[in-house]
Amino acid sequence: MKLVSNYLDTLESESIYIFREIYGQFKKPVLLFSGGKDSTLLIHLARKALFPANSPFPLLHIDTGHNFKEALDFRDELVSKFGFKLIVRKVEDTIKEKNLVDSTGKFPSRNILQSITLLDAINEFGFDACIGGGRRDEEKARAKERIFSIRDKNGAWQPYNQRPELWKLFNGKINKGENVRVFPISNWSELDVWNYILREKIELPSLYFAHDRECINFNGKLIAVSDFINLDENDIIEKKKVRYRTVGDMTCTAAIESEAANIEQVIDEIASSNISERGETRIDDQFSDAAMEDRKLQGYF
Amino acid sequence: MDILRFITAGSIDDGKSTLIGRLLYDIGQIKSDVIQSVSKSNKAVNTINLAHITDGLRSEREQGITIDIAYKYFTTPNRKYIITDAPGHFQYTKNLVTGASEVDAMIILIDANNGITEQTRRHSLVASFLNIPNVLVAINKMDDVAYSEEQFTSIKNQYLVIAEKLKLQNISFFPISALLGDNVNLASSNMIWYKDNTLMQCLETINAKITNNHITRFSVQCVIETKNFEKGFAGKLISGNLKIGDSIEINPERKSAIIKNIIIGKSYKNEAMAGDDICLYFENSIEAKRGDLISKSANDSPLLFSNKLETTLCWLNEEKQLQSGEEYLLRINSFETKCSITSILHKIDIQSFEKNTEKNLSGINDFLGVIIETAEEISYDPFSILPETGCGILIDLKTNYTSAAFIIEK
Repeated sequence: MKLVSNYLDTLESESIYIFREIYGQFKKPVLLFSGGKDSTLLIHLARKALFPANSPFPLLHIDTGHNFKEALDFRDELVSKFGFKLIVRKVEDTIKEKNLVDSTGKFPSRNILQSITLLDAINEFGFDACIGGGRRDEEKARAKERIFSIRDKNGAWQPYNQRPELWKLFNGKINKGENVRVFPISNWSELDVWNYILREKIELPSLYFAHDRECINFNGKLIAVSDFINLDENDIIEKKKVRYRTVGDMTCTAAIESEAANIEQVIDEIASSNISERGETRIDDQFSDAAMEDRKLQGYF
Repeated sequence: MDILRFITAGSIDDGKSTLIGRLLYDIGQIKSDVIQSVSKSNKAVNTINLAHITDGLRSEREQGITIDIAYKYFTTPNRKYIITDAPGHFQYTKNLVTGASEVDAMIILIDANNGITEQTRRHSLVASFLNIPNVLVAINKMDDVAYSEEQFTSIKNQYLVIAEKLKLQNISFFPISALLGDNVNLASSNMIWYKDNTLMQCLETINAKITNNHITRFSVQCVIETKNFEKGFAGKLISGNLKIGDSIEINPERKSAIIKNIIIGKSYKNEAMAGDDICLYFENSIEAKRGDLISKSANDSPLLFSNKLETTLCWLNEEKQLQSGEEYLLRINSFETKCSITSILHKIDIQSFEKNTEKNLSGINDFLGVIIETAEEISYDPFSILPETGCGILIDLKTNYTSAAFIIEK
């Protein structure tokens, strides 16, 4: 009889249970993969949940075209190592096909456009469940979302009419045209993710560890110099020792100055940090008080 | 380090969100950018609106109320805490039930100015319905009543009457001020008459829920097939234990099988314990399917089989009334079958907690005694014997909305 459980075992068990529910309930689930630590953790948990079978979930990458090269390389290595099916759909193609206006400005963000590409891909393949690495501790709108989050025919979240979700009875029943976003690591914090990565020896893109990079300082945030952002004469390019706390688009993800070269050092750094994960690294959340809620209403995961 | 899940419940403006904000703030686990953002969205300059830390939706911040549950997390060297901040309004009780279903403790807030309200009764009824193992009654806004011991004791005594009627377990009482921090994390110097634990000290020491007893129950979530065509049956060992060679019964079909292999995580094991996520293999290619409930053939408490269940049910669908005779999809663990409510026995009266047998008993958030008849025979345990195999939901066949939660009485 196990009287005292380890919190990481409890979190792992909850996630495995959710993955098995996904496999048991849906006909066409897909795993949304970004190359970041959270979706990499999802792959690890999916493989554990369905061992000895290989993970049956294809990976869907919504490619904004503003990727870190290291994240793409990591994605391709992971896919060939485990033999996953990878589907890539490009925001660039959506813009061309639908004659949309690409974003402009100093840091052109395709954050809103990528929801359109995602919804198109869901329709194209008929996915009934999209598995995402969203965590409730990341952001205040995410903190309110169910583990099985029903999206209507337009892919929109209905925050004021969420289904009751009791016990472990996740209700994934939907009508045609609707889909479910499932968040198996809802209850994990950033530190939980890292402690588990340490315990399970999960490989991550090199971006998460300290490296030299050319950056500009924009309102106190370090943005990597890349072809995707537009520099002006006031920008001063500096070489900094940095790492990424989150991996998103190069246009909206800030680096942090860091000497943390391995997982243990990253854990120490986060534990002593006085600023939240998204607060420190995302410039897209800070436009308004409800930026994430608004994106979710438009189909964002 | 283990995990403790708790929920805060109370009437509107009793200070639930403020209490959570206070706990997080005092423990030092609100990050500086979050403090900045809640200060920004509050009109009063230079004060932190502790409630805005959990009110994550725009309408909640605009209206200053909590509509749906929010989850927050913090850790102490001892525990990881998962907090559910639940709405106080009557109309959002369905969200409270959602948030409370898996917790180890419920904190019920009572405003010291107002005492026990109908919502206090309703939340206590939810705690009783879900059999929540610890109830912490926090009498808040003690600063408004001059930290009066008399006021605290009077409310405490009134609440004990409710607790006895509802058979609530492990009740403790705390005189607090969430706004000012008295007896939340640190002992209050304003109430030297109170000598017991602070709320946080109590949370650090109460037991997390453990499901385990002599009954062996395993629920099949999915079938895992590999290239050599051998099928494994994956799911959670809800209670008890299983080992290789055990004779088991697959229910409700009542098929017998012998365990050949057990996989936990990525390793082959000889035995599994309650809580393990396992994959089972049977001798002689015996098969099970999603929804099956597995018990041991010998020395196990027998499962019950029936297609007629006496239940207590909480109605959760605002858009539709509960209709006697209407068809629903019933779900217990991963087992599903069509069913209908064939008889409404009574409604639980919120004032007296007595069973009221008058008709017209089908509103949202009501607790009702009903008979559910299922299309297929189901296997189960009464909720009082093993909660995990004795509770379920009813799903609307047209909208798929989770319309009711029920526990099986017998």
